Amino acid sequence: MHHAYIDKFAYQDSPIHRLDARVKFVITVVFTAVVISLPRTTVSILFCYAVGPFVVLVMGGIPLRFVLKHILYVSPFVLVLALTSPWYDRTAATIIFGPWIWHTTVGWMRCWSILGKFVVTMLALIALISTTRFANLLAGLQQLGVPRLLVIQMGFLYRYIFLLIDSAHHILRARAARSAGGVAFGRGAKFAAAMVGSLFVRSIDTAEHINSAMQARGFDGNWRTINRLQVRVVDYVFVAIAVSFILGLYLFVKPLLG
Amino acid sequence: MHMANELLSVPVAAGTLAIAAGGLGLICRKVSKIVSSDKLPLMGILGAFIFAAQMVNFQLPAMPGTSGHMVGAVLLAIILGPHLAAIVISSVIIVQCLIFQDGGLLALGCNIINMALVPSYVGYFLYKVVTAGQSSSRRTYIGAMLACLVALETGAVLVPVEAALSGVLAVPFSTFLVTMIGVHFLVGLVEGLVTVAVLSYLQQVRPDLVLDSLPGKIRLSRKTVLVTLLVFAMIAAAGLSLLASKMPDGLEWSYRERPNQPDFKPIIANENTTITAVDQLQSKYTLLPDYTMRGASADTSKGWTSFAGVSGSLLTMLVVWAGMSLMRRKQAKTLSSS
Repeated sequence: MHHAYIDKFAYQDSPIHRLDARVKFVITVVFTAVVISLPRTTVSILFCYAVGPFVVLVMGGIPLRFVLKHILYVSPFVLVLALTSPWYDRTAATIIFGPWIWHTTVGWMRCWSILGKFVVTMLALIALISTTRFANLLAGLQQLGVPRLLVIQMGFLYRYIFLLIDSAHHILRARAARSAGGVAFGRGAKFAAAMVGSLFVRSIDTAEHINSAMQARGFDGNWRTINRLQVRVVDYVFVAIAVSFILGLYLFVKPLLG
Repeated sequence: MHMANELLSVPVAAGTLAIAAGGLGLICRKVSKIVSSDKLPLMGILGAFIFAAQMVNFQLPAMPGTSGHMVGAVLLAIILGPHLAAIVISSVIIVQCLIFQDGGLLALGCNIINMALVPSYVGYFLYKVVTAGQSSSRRTYIGAMLACLVALETGAVLVPVEAALSGVLAVPFSTFLVTMIGVHFLVGLVEGLVTVAVLSYLQQVRPDLVLDSLPGKIRLSRKTVLVTLLVFAMIAAAGLSLLASKMPDGLEWSYRERPNQPDFKPIIANENTTITAVDQLQSKYTLLPDYTMRGASADTSKGWTSFAGVSGSLLTMLVVWAGMSLMRRKQAKTLSSS
């Protein structure tokens, strides 16, 4: 299952991994917002913005092939969205890029701009997730004001996703083994419903077991972790670099590139 | 139906995030008063269950090669009640965004509203209205079917609305709307069928789960549901209309002449940098004259600047990558030799 190790790199160690989760999260949000707010036909400045998350990924030791594969995997929806623009906007436009001159349409420029923004914001998000342990991110989110209940909910969810995905795999394999060549819709939906139903019953039983185990060990509705979040000097340096990178590009380079 | 960052403008993203956060905050506060700590594992596991249930796919009719899966929001709302379902499904959407990169970070607010808050409450409300407290199986099935159809459809309609508010649509609004409604009618139909089938399975295997006695279930009077729904609708409407009216008009207002205020000078010719920046931004948005002009005449220098920008960025990335991989190799060597 390709999902199973999605954040396996979060458990490595690097200067980027050691940064405070809150700092990384906030910077990622700001970065994404700025990139999205760029004009709808800009492409060249996106290359400059890509440098930021790229450097973070490389310093964090995340293999670039993994990153690219992942971006490709989540791209189909955006691809459809991007490819509708050349269809609807056929105003002619001319692009001068170094020694080359292209005659194209505004729609195509939008298309490339959407794809570029998608790749750059995805780079940033992957850089965040693959250098931050989810538990730390959750602790950071709670300190940033996310309700405790929601944080605990996400903690449990994350803890049990892979367990239940595993049981779903077992059920799916059992069905595949028993239905060579596929099943028609009516019966297929009925089977699927029975599978979902039995998964549901199983989940509830598991929850009851886990609950009694946790109650027996004194769970009172609070996560307690040894990990204390603290903002160190390095974090301030990172913030300074990131902010000046984001703002500098926006204020000084964007007007130049147009 | 996960929206991407690129479908939204920053003000709309911020507005919807604020609405979603406010709504979730309210629900969390309400729920944490009623729910004791022994329900927390159950909620967490049901979130994971949604993930697993979405993996169970099946062949769709008349469309060979495509397969559908259930979304699960309405099923959860029927069994857990709307508050808990809203929290569980929101957590699923957040984790999908963060861990699996499904849907953009900025679109999180929209996605939570469209796929968690609206379907949970609309679905639960419809189901309750149709079943009217009776547990006849026909009412249960019709209620579940209707709830799925309407709940998913409502969420789907919100997508083009949010995109149109952002002003980023290349596709005409009506085309987008009709496509979304059409596609999600089918999605809702399939969802309804599977939800009904799951409910009937559960009624056979664990009737206690469907009949209001689930350990985590919170009972709600219909009045509470109605009031919550109304408040939600009002918040959403107020928020969105605020956004819609504020964005273009506020901007125009800032530099337009004001007939009833003769002292006010229109600041179109003002040196104010923010206003000129906004103007530039707008001219880029309308764009047509700008670009053809640029191609036609003098401004070839900009072409070189963007060339320099792009190649410089690529070069930087190459240098960083090469430097880091050299360093890594060296480290690995010293580690293996020592």
